[in-house]
Amino acid sequence: MDTASTAPAPAAPTVIRRPVLQQLIPYFLIAPTFVLVTIFTLLPAARTLRDSFYEFRPGRVPPPPEYVGFQNYIDLFDTGHPIVSDFTQVLLNTLYFTLGTVVFSLPIALGMALLLNRRLRLLGIWRFGLFYPALLPTIGAASLWAFLFSNTLGLLNTILGSFGIDGQNWLGDPNRVLVSITVVNIWKQAGYYMIFYLAGLQAIPKDLYEAAALDGAGFWRQLRSLTLPLLRRTTLFLLVVAFTFGFQTVEQLEALRGGLTNQRGNLVLYYIFQRIPQRQNWGYVNAMTVILVGILLIFTVTNFILFERKREHE
Amino acid sequence: MSNRRNRWSVAADLLTVALALLWMMPLIFGVLMSFRPQAAPITNGNVFVGCAAQLSPAQQALVDQQEAGQSIRLLGCTLTLSNYQAAWEVAPWPRFFLNSVIFVVGVLVVQIVTVTMAAYAFARLRFPGRDLLLIVLLLQIMIPTATLIVQNFATIRQLNLFDTHWALMLPYWGSAFGVLLLRQTFREVPYELEEAARIDGAGLFGVLRNVYIPLSIPAYVAFALVSISSHWNEFLWPFIVTRQDFARPLTVGLSQLFETSDTGANYNNIMAGTIIVVTPLVLLFTLFQRRFIESFASSGIK
Repeated sequence: MDTASTAPAPAAPTVIRRPVLQQLIPYFLIAPTFVLVTIFTLLPAARTLRDSFYEFRPGRVPPPPEYVGFQNYIDLFDTGHPIVSDFTQVLLNTLYFTLGTVVFSLPIALGMALLLNRRLRLLGIWRFGLFYPALLPTIGAASLWAFLFSNTLGLLNTILGSFGIDGQNWLGDPNRVLVSITVVNIWKQAGYYMIFYLAGLQAIPKDLYEAAALDGAGFWRQLRSLTLPLLRRTTLFLLVVAFTFGFQTVEQLEALRGGLTNQRGNLVLYYIFQRIPQRQNWGYVNAMTVILVGILLIFTVTNFILFERKREHE
Repeated sequence: MSNRRNRWSVAADLLTVALALLWMMPLIFGVLMSFRPQAAPITNGNVFVGCAAQLSPAQQALVDQQEAGQSIRLLGCTLTLSNYQAAWEVAPWPRFFLNSVIFVVGVLVVQIVTVTMAAYAFARLRFPGRDLLLIVLLLQIMIPTATLIVQNFATIRQLNLFDTHWALMLPYWGSAFGVLLLRQTFREVPYELEEAARIDGAGLFGVLRNVYIPLSIPAYVAFALVSISSHWNEFLWPFIVTRQDFARPLTVGLSQLFETSDTGANYNNIMAGTIIVVTPLVLLFTLFQRRFIESFASSGIK
């Protein structure tokens, strides 16, 4: 699999002393990338951690930040706190949103992939129809749905109405907003996850199915005993991807509930973003970022351990 | 037996079509909405029957009057371009479009340079600290730039780049993902080819240009498509570091359309704006459908 490991060692071992300048070439080559990664990832991550332990007071001549230990973190989970009382709620919302997306979009994506992985007329059209939401800017996707969700003109309430169900206030009711943005996210992500399942399905040798069919295994049996186990790695990978995406979503909120001040439907990154401007929030937004990054690290490190490392050794 | 299989196959075909149509509903209705006159609003139900809404003669007269010269009648319904005109006037779309292009192209061009250099070093050179540095690089993938908006925003302020195109592009110029993708590809290039080129007198630049880059075009295409589509769609970062139309890309421009319509959103305009924003990528996708899907699929696993 990995040809490089069997290829002759690149730039043969340095028995001959190369000039200093030449030894510096690798560092020169990676320098631009590293300078950028340092400025926009490493340093900000470190400063985020540092600032999360300080309290910032407002004022015309703001007093210097004061070290407060873990107080900011404690405040974040204090539901009676004047500034950040909603954080716990928002964190739970994000979890709900992410889990809701995963539970529905992955099975739908697998279904789509199974449907498209057949001989089919006009395949391009159907594939486009299922995949295009993944391609839209989230803000565009959300604005398409804003119309479907709208109270009086919206298609959704019209359909419900024709079944005799009262219209719902999809975007105005704080309890509904979360459901609404989750629905949009399922719709948007399913097509994206589908292509990974498609790639996975196409990698499964056809004769496995032929053998299974000869043994009398029907569709469901084949799905359960053959397809699903063989797609396990894809599923694991998509779980990680779906979780990391979920915790970074903001655009839908901007489009679907822009003006709302109620936090019942808010998500964590948007909540952070809304709190940046005020100085007294600075310690808190950094503490929240630390928590967010911590959660994401769990998923991305899992991803790395499960997949990248395996790749290297395969 | 084969009859039964056929029946299932037809059922699956129907399900595919139904699912695709269901998934296309938002787009279809968005497009419909964007061409509907504002004086003939879509009320409950009539959107179903296309637009053959039973307008009273008075309403129809109002529509005809407002949409004079801009509308056509098609299958009994009035379609108009006036929403596009209105949406076009609310915001400087050509400016936003230009900004999006500057953003996307500016990021991609620099990325290709930085990524190629670093990928070659990690793929083919040996140097102290290489493995450690590669792991440090991975941190960029593990900590998405979007989550560090708070501090990066402060950095942009300090650099005095707020509200400029530079502010949009800078954080994306280094791409750990690109380095990993190309490193993998470069390692699959036979080393003998580099040796042969070296014997012919090629330097580092020559080797990259004549050996590695030409042999890695599919990887570059994959990287470019992923880079373009993700930056074209980027929202939060541009939203934070720009204030005026001068530097704002399309996605942020679209969100402004929501703000301008405070008296209950004007969906006709919003839909027209949305269609303006999403069309370029959808066109790009239909042209390179297969490439796109392959690129996205490979980008995830790498």
